[in-house]
Amino acid sequence: MATQIPTTTGAASTRKQRAMSGTGGRTAALFLTPFFAVFALAMVAPVIYSIVLSFFAQQKSGLGFGEAKTSFVGLENYFQVLQSESFVGGIGRLAMYCALYIPCMVGGALAFALLLDAAVARARKLFQLLVFLPHAVPGVIAALIWAYLYTPGVSPIVSVLESGGIELNFLDNQMILPSIVNIAVWEWTGYNVIVLFTALQAVPREILEAARVDGAGEIRAALSIKLPLILPALSVIMLFTVIGTLQLFTEPSIISKATASVTSTWVPNMWAYDAAFNRHNLNQAAAASIIIALMAAVLSWAVTRFSSRMNKA
Amino acid sequence: MKRRQLLLGAVSLMASAALVTGCGSTPSATSAPTATEDPSGTITFWSSMAGMDKVAAAFNASQSKIKVNFETIPNGGAGGYAKLSTAITAGNGPDVATIEYPQLPQFVSNGQLQPLDGLINKAETVDKLTDETKALVQFGDQTYALPYDAAPMIMWYRKDMLDKAGVGTPKTWEDFEEAGKKLKAVAPEAYLASFNPNEAALTAALSWQAGAKWFGTEGDSWKVGVNDAATQKVATYWQKLIDQKIVKVQQSFSDEWSADLASGAVVGVLGANWSATGIQKRTEASGQKGQWIAAEAPNWGTPADAFYGGSSFNITKSSKNPAAAAKFVEYLATSQDAIKARGNTGSAFLAFPGLTPVAQQAFDASYFGNDIYAVFDKAYSTITPGWQWGPNWDITNTALKDAYGKLTTGGKVLEAVDTAQTATVAGLKQSGLSVKE
Repeated sequence: MATQIPTTTGAASTRKQRAMSGTGGRTAALFLTPFFAVFALAMVAPVIYSIVLSFFAQQKSGLGFGEAKTSFVGLENYFQVLQSESFVGGIGRLAMYCALYIPCMVGGALAFALLLDAAVARARKLFQLLVFLPHAVPGVIAALIWAYLYTPGVSPIVSVLESGGIELNFLDNQMILPSIVNIAVWEWTGYNVIVLFTALQAVPREILEAARVDGAGEIRAALSIKLPLILPALSVIMLFTVIGTLQLFTEPSIISKATASVTSTWVPNMWAYDAAFNRHNLNQAAAASIIIALMAAVLSWAVTRFSSRMNKA
Repeated sequence: MKRRQLLLGAVSLMASAALVTGCGSTPSATSAPTATEDPSGTITFWSSMAGMDKVAAAFNASQSKIKVNFETIPNGGAGGYAKLSTAITAGNGPDVATIEYPQLPQFVSNGQLQPLDGLINKAETVDKLTDETKALVQFGDQTYALPYDAAPMIMWYRKDMLDKAGVGTPKTWEDFEEAGKKLKAVAPEAYLASFNPNEAALTAALSWQAGAKWFGTEGDSWKVGVNDAATQKVATYWQKLIDQKIVKVQQSFSDEWSADLASGAVVGVLGANWSATGIQKRTEASGQKGQWIAAEAPNWGTPADAFYGGSSFNITKSSKNPAAAAKFVEYLATSQDAIKARGNTGSAFLAFPGLTPVAQQAFDASYFGNDIYAVFDKAYSTITPGWQWGPNWDITNTALKDAYGKLTTGGKVLEAVDTAQTATVAGLKQSGLSVKE
């Protein structure tokens, strides 16, 4: 999710032109080789290995105190993963998580960014910093902090609520999903505010002035001028958010130490981890990972498709 | 009754041993390495136990042929076994590893450990152990580990709160429930103990104590009974305690648990001998010195106990120098010097005879209101024989933990053990093992 948004398209195209003119082909290759070498080693090779793994299965027999046999099983692992109640349940949970998280986070980020853009210059710097600050806290630490804030008996929040007569267990079966969404919103809103705010800065001031001359107030200007103009940035955010959501792992794994409500297969990534390291079924874990990657690919395709249509319209 | 159980246990063990060797599936029977008289070299040792660095250093200082490099790894709950298992599979695991009893069979079954037969001096090590501990480290006819500690399940109470409630130390589970009710009468907000949904091994110990057998072998098949009659009795009983708010459902070792012990909201801990330091650490600051006592876990009528925790030392498949590793494993598991070197790292109770007094000397038990080691000794002498761990504890462990997640929102303990049974059987079958329910 923390991937930088590419801003070097201009530089790349000039380089391309130069390469076409025939002087820098060798230089380009020289500069690109290290990247592709590492990419092949750290990305392509493991993916291929996973795909190969996912087509095999280790079969023991009898009591199991002997060598396991490895055999080719085709798509069997994939069927098993997709038939697994806990894996499908995890996808369902992830869908609910998205339904809660994406509107909260993106809506919040948009609101903050528009407010920041409308604010006076001095307050802007301060609020920008304040809003961004949670993102500077690593995910693991954030989850630990929130686990503490959610735990009854130690959390100041819970005890304040209790003294106000509100009995709320943030960690029980029903509340756990909103509780985890809250952590993610807290972590990611600030980051996305900065992205959107940067986009807002690029909105031509003449257009805004023209709108103002035509009698548009701040709200009208925000909704009718600024919002349509930052749609590309918004779609980039959506893309990263959707992919990031599929990779949900850290927060629930940490919270699972504080409550039994988060099971070991709570989301698909945890399912894959559990398959690999608890059930020692690397083949099934590989199949699950490939399925998750495919889901990410399909979803990102859908998001880009949808947003490019939006941009055109 | 008891002798019969023992006999049955022995018979089934022998039967399984015969079969395992019979079908020739013991991997290294032919290639068993022979003990070198005078091994030397450098070996690595992984453990998550505190103070093991000192033991390795003491071993290095005691002789000059073998050099042990010690590395701390995270404990099982924090991913230690995932690390160990992956490293062994990749061929860069340690020579000597530390594995708890429930996880041991799955490492054996995954072919990740070397049998110790032929490497260690059996007469001086394995043969001196009790049958109950031997059963934890021998599979088929081979020994795969030397046991370190053998942790009897122990019940810890706040004596002052029992006095306040006007009850003595509960002897049976019936007494325990009665004591809980009386405690509620004098301190309505207090719980007598907690039920730990994160500790499937504790449910196992409670069931073991009640005579359950979660895993066993029948011919060439595993017999799985995670919801057998004895376990159902235990599950129903604990559900009753939860419903009456005699025990609180909470994760052990969590912040909530620590806070409740310190504040006196929970006045008992169902744990083991190793719980002592944990209790002391969490309650010392709130002035509870002298109030905590150890007691034998309540029983179902006749004194009985089970192991709850404990680790063993093993030689992994990745060891290139098993002879040197074996010398170190012997030292770790049977030498008084090793125990001395470790110093005061908790109220250890060790499997090898003659070691516990050394550990006892190093441990300052003055925080507690009674002679805790006397209680450990008594509890240790009543371990129910015939328990066996299954070929993949992690499946049962996670299934049970996951099912317990619903306890706070209307789930039942009995449903949880049923779920764990189904998941275990399905999981084992999926890996190709033959399973009978």
